[in-house]
Amino acid sequence: MKKRVLAAAVATVATLVALTGCTGSSDAPSGAGVPTDKPITLKVWSWDGTVKEAVPGFEKLYPNITVDVINAGSSTDEYTALDNAIQAGSGVPDIAMFEYFSLPLFAIPGKLTDLSEFGAEDIASDYVDAAWGNVTIDGKPYALPSDYGPAALFYNQAVLTEAGVTAPPATWDEFYEAAKKVRALGGDHYITNDSADIFLLLSLIWEGGGRPFKVDGSNVTIDFTDEGTTRAVEFWQKMLDEDLVNTKVTGWSDDWNRGLNEGTIATQIIGSWFTSTLPERAPDAAGDFRIAPLPQWEAGETSGSENGGSAMAIPADAKNKEAAYAFLEYFTHGDGLQSRIDAGAFVPNLSNLDDEKFLGTTNEFFGDQKYNEVLAEASKNVATGWQYPPFFGWARTSYEDVSAPLYNSGKGTLADVLETWKQRSIEYGNEQGFTVK
Amino acid sequence: MSSATTNAIRVHKRPKVGLLFIAPFAVLFLFVLVIPICYSAYISLFQNKLIGGNAFVGLDNYIKLFNDPQFYDGAIRVVVFTAIQVPIMLLSAIALALAIDSLRLHGTKFFRVVVFLPYAIPAIVSTLMWGFMLGIRYGLIGSLNEAAGTSFDPFAPETTMISIGVMATWGFTGYNMLIFYAALRAVPRELYEAAAIDGANEFHIVRYIKLPALRGSLVVTIIFSIIGTFQLFNEPNILATLVSNSGITSYYTPNLYAYNLAFTGSQQGYAAALAIVMALFTIAIAYVVQIKGMKNVLNK
Repeated sequence: MKKRVLAAAVATVATLVALTGCTGSSDAPSGAGVPTDKPITLKVWSWDGTVKEAVPGFEKLYPNITVDVINAGSSTDEYTALDNAIQAGSGVPDIAMFEYFSLPLFAIPGKLTDLSEFGAEDIASDYVDAAWGNVTIDGKPYALPSDYGPAALFYNQAVLTEAGVTAPPATWDEFYEAAKKVRALGGDHYITNDSADIFLLLSLIWEGGGRPFKVDGSNVTIDFTDEGTTRAVEFWQKMLDEDLVNTKVTGWSDDWNRGLNEGTIATQIIGSWFTSTLPERAPDAAGDFRIAPLPQWEAGETSGSENGGSAMAIPADAKNKEAAYAFLEYFTHGDGLQSRIDAGAFVPNLSNLDDEKFLGTTNEFFGDQKYNEVLAEASKNVATGWQYPPFFGWARTSYEDVSAPLYNSGKGTLADVLETWKQRSIEYGNEQGFTVK
Repeated sequence: MSSATTNAIRVHKRPKVGLLFIAPFAVLFLFVLVIPICYSAYISLFQNKLIGGNAFVGLDNYIKLFNDPQFYDGAIRVVVFTAIQVPIMLLSAIALALAIDSLRLHGTKFFRVVVFLPYAIPAIVSTLMWGFMLGIRYGLIGSLNEAAGTSFDPFAPETTMISIGVMATWGFTGYNMLIFYAALRAVPRELYEAAAIDGANEFHIVRYIKLPALRGSLVVTIIFSIIGTFQLFNEPNILATLVSNSGITSYYTPNLYAYNLAFTGSQQGYAAALAIVMALFTIAIAYVVQIKGMKNVLNK
C-alpha cells in the first residue's frame, strides 16, 4: 500500500517536473554555466519582502533549482549573522541583501564576489548611474541594485497652504522662507523635524556636491570642509538656530507619527520608500500629502541625492555562485523584476523608471498625484560620485553620540559635531586596519 | 586507624555514582556558564580588525578600556543609579512586606499580587508603556504639563535616569517584597505572642523581631539588585528609539556599551574585556556586601 502511494507520488512529481521543464526550456535565459542537471537549493537572505515574488517564475525556468528566501534580520542584524556565518565557514547564504552604505564593509575585505566574472557590467546601463555607482567599489561591481531611495520632499499641501505657501519650495532659500511661515502658524507647527538624522544631513550635502568621504581601497579620507558640505551644514545650522526645525521629535517614534498625522510636521526630506509607510502613519492626512523634487541649492538646478536603498550581493563563500547570479539577475533586472515592482518595490532600473504604467501610478493618499513621475525624475537626478566609508554602520551610531549635546541643549555647532565625528571615525577606522585621514 | 581505612574506601567508591547524580547539573553548568565565561576571557585578548583579521593583542583591550572615558561615563552612571535606586526600592519593599504581614489590612492577597504583577511584565513592554506615559507630547506628563502650565520633561538628559529609576522601582519592588514577606512568614507567630505578653507594642515587635528576621534576605536582595542595576540595558536601549534628546548615548550603561561595541562596531574583543571587567567589579561588590551582611548576622 505504502509503496503504491509512493510510486504514484513519484510519478506525479516526475510529470510536473517534465511539464515545467518543458515550458521553461523554451525561454530559459542564456545563464552561462548554470548547472541544470543536479538539484540546487539557493539560500537568499533578504528583508525585502518582494524578492519572494520572483521565485515561482525563476523556479519554472530552472526546475532543478529551489530558491529559499529567508529573512535573516534587517540591516545590522543580518550583517552580524552573515559575518558569523563567514567566520564559522558554514551557513553562508548564496545571496545576501545590503544597504548601499554597508557594501564596502564586506566588499573591501574580500567577503563578496566580484560580479564582473558573470558579466554584470553588461546590464549596468539599465540602472541609473548613481545606483550603479553604489555597487561599484574600486571599479568592480560587487552587487546588483535591488531597491532605491532617491530623496524627495514629501509635503502636506493643506498645511503649507494654510501657512501661505502656495507652491512647494523649489530651492532651499524658499524652504527657509516656507519654514518661517509654517512656524508662524504657532504652537508646535514646524516645517520638519530632525533629531540627529545623519541621512537627512548627508542627503543635503550630497545634493549640493559635497563629497566628504573618499574611499580608495582601504584608504579613507574624511573632510567636512568642501564647498558643498559647508553650504549644506551652514544652511541646516541656520534652520536649527532659528528654531525652524522640531528637534524634539525623533523619526519613527510615536510622536513622529502623530506630528505627521495632525500636520504639525509639514514636510519630510526623505527617501522615495516613504510612500509605502506614510499612509499608515498619517491616516488622517490622507489626500493632503504630495511629493515634490528635493529643493535645489540654486534655482533651476536639477540635482538630487539618495536616502536609503539596497542591493543584493553574492558572498565570496557562497556555494552555488552561477545559479545565484542567475537568480540575482532575474529578480533585479530580468523577467522577475516586474513581479517585485507589482508588489511595491521601487527599483533604479531605467526600464521601469520609463515605464508608462509605473509612471501613471496614483494613490488617493497623495491626492491622485502621479507621484512616480516625480520619483523617477528624482532617481535619474541623483548626483554621482558619492562614497560611504566602509565603517559607516559604526559611524552612524557614533554620530548620534557626538551630536547629542547639540540636539539636546544647543551646545556647539553642527560644524563642531562633524569635526568631532571625523576625529572619532579616524580613530576607529585606523584601529580597524584602514588608513583614515 | 580502622575507621580511616573504611573512610578511604568510601571516598574511593563514592565518586562514580556521585558523578552520575551531578552530571545533569555539571553539563549544564559547564556549557552555559563556565565555557562562555572562559571564551569571553579568551576573546578579550584578541582584536578582530575589519582589515587584517584576528590578532592576539594581549591585555591591550583592558588597557584601552581603563583609558576610555566612555566606559567611565557609563560605569559611574550605573554606580550612582544603584546607590540611589536600590535603597529606595528595598525600603519600599520592606515597608510593603511589613504592612502585609501586620495582619491589619484587608485584601492582603489581592494587594500582594498587584504589587508583584509589574515583575511579570517584560521590561520591553513596561518600558514602552512608561515611555508613552511619561512622554511630554501626548503622554500623561504632557497632559499634566498642559493643565499646570509647566514644561517638565521626564526624558531630558538630566531626568532620563530618574525616569528609568521609577520604571525599575515599579518593576522590582514587588519581587523584593515577596522575598521579605516570605522571611517574615517564617517567623514563628508564638514569638509575637510572647513579646506581647512581655509588654511589647507593634513598633517593638517590628524593631526587635521582624527587622532582624529580614537581615538574611536583605543581603540576598541587595546582591540581586546590584547585579540587576549594573546590567541596566533594556530600558535605555528602548527609550533611545522612543524619545529624542533623552541624552541616551551608545555608551549610556556599560552593558549598552558592550552591546554596541560588539554589534555595531564589531569590536567583540573589546566588548568582552568590558564585560569581564564589569563582571569582576560586580562580583567584588556583591562579595563585600555578603561578607559585611553575614558578619552582622553572625554577630547578632
